[in-house]
Amino acid sequence: MTAQEEIITPTIDFQAKAHELLPENASYDSCLACGLCSSGCPASGLHGIDPRRFIRMAMLGMNEELSNTPWIWTCTMCQRCAYVCPMNIDVSVLVGYARGAWPKEKKPQGIVRSCEAQMMSASTSAMGVMPDDFVEIIEETVEELHLGDERFKDLEVPMDKKGAYFFVNQNSREPAVEPEELGPLWKIFDYVGADWSYASKGWAAENFCMFTGDESTWKEMVKQRVDAINELDCKVWINTECGHSFYTMWAGVEKFGLETNFEAASLISYYAQWIREGKLPVNSDWNTGNIKFTIQDPCQLVRKSMGDPVADDLRYVARELVGADNVIDMQPCRSANYCCGGGGGFLQAGMNEQRRAYGKRKFDQIAVTQAQYVLTPCHNCHSQITDLGDVYGGDYRVVHFWTLICLALGILGENERKYLGPDLMDIGLP
Amino acid sequence: MKRELRQYTTQVTVIGSGLAGFAASMFALDRGIQTAQIGNTGAVAYTTGYFDLLGGDGGEVIDDPWRGIEALRKTEPDHPLSRIDDKDIRTAFSKFTEALSALGLGYTQPGENNLMALLPGGIAKPTLSVPKTMLGGVEAASKGAQTLIVDFIGLQGFSAKEMVANLSSSWPGLGAETVAFPDMESGASVYVEVMARSLEVAENQKRLAKRIKAVLGDSKVVGLPAILGIHGSDVVHAQMEKLIGVPVFEIPTMPPAVPGIRLRELFEGTLPDKGLMLVPQHKANRIDLNEDGIIVNLEDSFGEIQIQSQAAILATGRFLSGGLAADRHGVRETLAGIPVSQPDNRNDWHNPDYFDAGGHPINRSGIEVDGCYRPLDANGNPASERLFAAGIVLAHQDWIRQRCGAGISFASAYKAVEAASKILEA
Amino acid sequence: MSTIDPAGTKTYDTEVLIIGGGVTGTGIMRDLALRGFQCLLVERKDLNAGASGGNHGLLHSGGRYASSDAETAAECRMESDIIKRMAPECIDDCGGLFVAVEGDDPAFAERFPEHCAKAGIDCQSLSPQEARKREPQLSDTVFAAYVVPDASIDPFHITLGNVHHAQQLTDSTYLPHTEVIEFDIADGTIASALCRDLRSGESVRISAKQVVNASGAWARNIAQLAGCTDVDLLYVKGTLIVSNSRLCNGVVNRLRPPGDGDILVPGGTVSLLGTTSDKVDSLEGLRPTVDEVDHILNEGMPMLPVLRDTRFIRAFCGVRPLLQSSDAGMDGRKASRGFQLFDHEDQGLKNFTSLVGGKLTTYRLMAEKTGDLVTRRMGKKAPCKSASEPLPAGDSVRWTEPGYAPRFWYRRNDPTDAILCECEMVPRSAIDEIVETAPGAESHMTLRAIGLRSRVGKGTCQGSFCAARVSSYLYDSDVYSGVEGRDHMRDFLAERFKGLRPVLWGKQMPQMELAEAFHCGLLGLDFKKENGSGSSS
Repeated sequence: MTAQEEIITPTIDFQAKAHELLPENASYDSCLACGLCSSGCPASGLHGIDPRRFIRMAMLGMNEELSNTPWIWTCTMCQRCAYVCPMNIDVSVLVGYARGAWPKEKKPQGIVRSCEAQMMSASTSAMGVMPDDFVEIIEETVEELHLGDERFKDLEVPMDKKGAYFFVNQNSREPAVEPEELGPLWKIFDYVGADWSYASKGWAAENFCMFTGDESTWKEMVKQRVDAINELDCKVWINTECGHSFYTMWAGVEKFGLETNFEAASLISYYAQWIREGKLPVNSDWNTGNIKFTIQDPCQLVRKSMGDPVADDLRYVARELVGADNVIDMQPCRSANYCCGGGGGFLQAGMNEQRRAYGKRKFDQIAVTQAQYVLTPCHNCHSQITDLGDVYGGDYRVVHFWTLICLALGILGENERKYLGPDLMDIGLP
Repeated sequence: MKRELRQYTTQVTVIGSGLAGFAASMFALDRGIQTAQIGNTGAVAYTTGYFDLLGGDGGEVIDDPWRGIEALRKTEPDHPLSRIDDKDIRTAFSKFTEALSALGLGYTQPGENNLMALLPGGIAKPTLSVPKTMLGGVEAASKGAQTLIVDFIGLQGFSAKEMVANLSSSWPGLGAETVAFPDMESGASVYVEVMARSLEVAENQKRLAKRIKAVLGDSKVVGLPAILGIHGSDVVHAQMEKLIGVPVFEIPTMPPAVPGIRLRELFEGTLPDKGLMLVPQHKANRIDLNEDGIIVNLEDSFGEIQIQSQAAILATGRFLSGGLAADRHGVRETLAGIPVSQPDNRNDWHNPDYFDAGGHPINRSGIEVDGCYRPLDANGNPASERLFAAGIVLAHQDWIRQRCGAGISFASAYKAVEAASKILEA
Repeated sequence: MSTIDPAGTKTYDTEVLIIGGGVTGTGIMRDLALRGFQCLLVERKDLNAGASGGNHGLLHSGGRYASSDAETAAECRMESDIIKRMAPECIDDCGGLFVAVEGDDPAFAERFPEHCAKAGIDCQSLSPQEARKREPQLSDTVFAAYVVPDASIDPFHITLGNVHHAQQLTDSTYLPHTEVIEFDIADGTIASALCRDLRSGESVRISAKQVVNASGAWARNIAQLAGCTDVDLLYVKGTLIVSNSRLCNGVVNRLRPPGDGDILVPGGTVSLLGTTSDKVDSLEGLRPTVDEVDHILNEGMPMLPVLRDTRFIRAFCGVRPLLQSSDAGMDGRKASRGFQLFDHEDQGLKNFTSLVGGKLTTYRLMAEKTGDLVTRRMGKKAPCKSASEPLPAGDSVRWTEPGYAPRFWYRRNDPTDAILCECEMVPRSAIDEIVETAPGAESHMTLRAIGLRSRVGKGTCQGSFCAARVSSYLYDSDVYSGVEGRDHMRDFLAERFKGLRPVLWGKQMPQMELAEAFHCGLLGLDFKKENGSGSSS
């Protein structure tokens, strides 16, 4: 027996917790056992469990089994079960709670380490980028941009700018591993003349602490960011194209009762607004080959947060960018969309076999559209769908919106085309 | 955090997302009315996919629903179908099935007689309109065609052998085979929804067709559980027929089944593009009636939403859909506090025998409406000039036993929209 | 085992014929088998069709009777101790509380420990705070509370276990759906019993040296069939309701003279609240009513306010066959809970025994006394072993325990062992085992028979979905081959509905609507005629 196996996972009384944490009419006691949840859940069957079974096992008092099942790390807490349930029973709530009860040593270490990295410095960065490093990386990247393209020699990337209208949280992936991907968003801000700022503290967007189920660290991460935003006295908080960082912030503020003097908004809604207002005069003329695009709606942003209005914004932006006829929706989509299997920490959990089995539905959905590109404003979706394509032999690429916006505006640099295929490599270059 | 109350203004708000709700939205959009709709999963999620007008009475099959309604007008004058002209019922029914067909989910046009549609247990359902993917079953059964029913390893609650055992006396040419669905060979439980989505992929159609062909034998027709795609099922159906080389039909399956998911996703996926402001999968939690209009309040994960409109249509369904709720002492309407016509005593809600041919009195409870489909208050007056009602929340009908749910939903939605349109300001 | 006589009647020859497949009849079957006798048990319906299946499943510590009937109380104490040791797998030794709440008689409560002491029942006083800590759902008006060694027992597991063991020990036989029509009596001896197989309609003749009437509430009828007029019974109907989840940790009794709605017993994953007590004249067609359910709830709520918002999934009733005693009058609660053994010798019979009255907790003792008499009459000397031989665990009889199937399934971790009943998580392998080897499997298994031997149909949906899934599975595994599956399903669902009908409100209403839409809309089970699709229709 290894040391790890000796650590006991505390047993939760799931029925009592459900009663405590869920609304009276949407608790486990209301379940009709109809199975719509399980039928529509990509995690069904992994480790033998599905949402209905989770509920039934709780009702049958199988607390020890539920407290120990690794299924809770394959459920991405995407809330599709609650979405289709006639009683709106949300299984993800107790999945999150059960995650929190696992001893740290037993939790998937990838998620735990990401959270620990966030806790290490005022950055709140899961990739361990320190505040000074962040400032330095930004400065260097801006400088390269200034030198590399005459058109952007005056582009500013404000840092800790008090009173800026937008406070922008930055996903760590770009500064840590692909700083050249930072440029497109800056260019967009520059293009529309946005009054915005990064911060040197609480700048990171991602929150793996939430996925560990440890509410105290989730709260701590959100609080550090909230403090940073409050301190700069910004009006609107947005984050880069990332699904869960949007959810973790507003849901965290609400859940933990934090004081804020700003409002939360999605970058996607602003893309749409700027296009509508003519500030981002994009069009699809570049897409002469009628390349087809599909859209992955991040669960955290759409179903779990803003609902169909933001999904409509995504579609509006996409149609403007690539041509209405060239956007082929996956089915189902918008609020009813399937999670891709990248969220909830699944990508970091080291459970590749299960994660890919989960994602097969997503792969099939994409295959039906025959799209060459998947557009998604979410890093986890991005990574997972890319991986699914590699594993199952998909002939598509996954791109951020910022890439296409800059492409359509003719301001996408040569080095900013990492995720584009050869068909788009030369489009819109000066 | 400052999250703004999201407020929308529209002409008509439809509350409910079952057949009546979606029919109301379609009819309203058709009239050029600016429409919003909200509603959660309810009874339609569990449908066979068959659209009934009037198929049963006292445990007997009704062959001609139009004659059935004629009779109903004498025996049950308060029945919602008794109160609507045949012409309006026909129009509403046809408009709905035509609209679905145009959206890519083909339905047969309602005719003069009921079709005897296949059910998985072998008893047939008298119904007026069936999805095109299921029509083949009606035809094969009536001709007694040499037919192979195929079921799948790991699929619970659908047995080809069971169908054959129950039908073989009247349909000798029926056979049963079990095959493994592509990538679902292990024997672990599979869901029809997953199979249906998988069949939208061309490669999977080919693989399944090959396996079915291998067991086809002399059969001239193939019956499958309803798995021929969720979206574009007509296309999947045609493709499978081509690949297998014989006509193929679908048979409804037990919940959670494909036909209900098909309808929901079709509505959710297409109506917003036709101008519907849809808040899918959310229940209204309160409505406020005032002189200027109606405010429908709801809450989604992101906060509160208010929809202000000039008229609202209550299509909230019954207990399963949340439009009605019961405690030990009575049944109430959950949203607007409309009085519910119901038996005096809980002891009279249900007959002693489950399969009593007369059905159960509680199923005839519901809200009363006037000739304009306005719900009536305790004094028998319209609760509001702006509130209308449609669907199976209406009293004096038993949609389950009489097989009249779709008919009531379409026809009453049509009438309610017609009435609502008259009070809209230009 | 059986032969066909020249007239075409199926005949059996056995040492002891036992009539009645309740806990007593099967208890006698096992008692006698343990003494080496070969038995044949006939039951008009199926196991536990009467009071044995229509009760709380409460293994009384005796506390319930301590104040009124010290003898029964002491008997309960001793017997419950034995059963806890002999059949631990059938017991949830959860303990029990007696609590008095606002409005109850403090004087009655005060004397309780003294009465328990007299009957030898271990009884410890708790403060109201301690009581509420132990049972958080208790009313905050509790003013007296005592802990007693009550437990809950699975009467189906016991009965199945008894039959199974008897079959193993002496090749004894169980014939379900077999009704005694007449006795062939000569020279003060019953030579044989003519029975009818109620499913096939065929006659069955059973010759036996001894005949035991353990038919519970029907004991008077069977005795009369043998010409005996000495058995007199009071029929008292009791109704109970089952909650969707387990409400309390242990048994909760109201500390007052026994009345209605005053005991809540855990049934593994659920709780059972009861009972009522109404004298009835007939044994046929009894079912729980809306008024009874409301009455139990109204009585129970002062003790357990949680009942007000509890989801109930089923009601059921049973008839207590109580001994008629002169001073009891019409009140069933005051009638004796003791039992009586009739040797019927004053009625002129030498090999006929009737066992009447008693209760679940004392079933073993009743079986022992009967076994003693039968053994003596057989001229043998074989001591009773049921107090020392544990009831063996059998693979095919373990499926009635709530929560057993899902744990078995989870541990087994075989993805192909599909779950057929999702509410109670009963997998295919359980159905296979029951169909192949459970008592009664020798004759054809129906959906109802499987339900009785498992948790199929016992959960939230009350069989509305699993009936279809199990039925399909039985066709796939060739247990069914004709149209009988549909009739069995209709029969099964109609039976479940009897229990659902009085608890249809709140969260059970959408469940019922979904069920009815499924059974009528998708299965067409309400049509009077089978309108099978096909060319003939």
